[in-house]
Amino acid sequence: MGIWIDVARVSTALNVVLLLGLSYVWLDNYRQFQSKHTLGLSVFSVLLLAQNALAFYIYSWDNLLSVWFATKVPAPAWKAMLALHVLEFLALVFLAWVTWD
Amino acid sequence: MVKVSGSGKLWYVLSGSRGGARRATLLAELAEEPRNPNRLAADLDIDYSTVRHHLDVLVEHELVETETGDYGSRYVLSAETERNWEEVERIIRTVS
Repeated sequence: MGIWIDVARVSTALNVVLLLGLSYVWLDNYRQFQSKHTLGLSVFSVLLLAQNALAFYIYSWDNLLSVWFATKVPAPAWKAMLALHVLEFLALVFLAWVTWD
Repeated sequence: MVKVSGSGKLWYVLSGSRGGARRATLLAELAEEPRNPNRLAADLDIDYSTVRHHLDVLVEHELVETETGDYGSRYVLSAETERNWEEVERIIRTVS
């Protein structure tokens, strides 16, 4: 049971790292271009960063929920949740790869 | 190669990625005067391989094209860039 929450923590942490990179590029470009386009990308990455940071916080530090997720959530539910995190991670890897160019 | 049309592509290539501002600068330089990569690298004081890389990206997105002349190949603005010049200029102006 404990393994699932660790995978969830790691994948959300990796998403946070990727999104910090994306936000860095897009906010920097927004500062330079001040365009609607770069603003949209910046807002998108910052909100998705907030989402993943919140997930990581819930799994790691939230007094009530971190305990609940670590001990009360059965494996099938965890597998479904992890599929969501891992798919998002893969999506972000590709987005970061093209954006870093 | 995915075909993208309109200004969305322009904005993405020139401002959606890390090298975008530099690509916009190269485009502005080529608008002033078509040049080969060597000259561009020297004029802008940028690494030759960096210039080549950004030019490849611009060619791939059909924003510039090569023109072979007496002095080797020069890079020039594509017909599409010429057509959308107002838009391109708006983007370029923000980086220069």
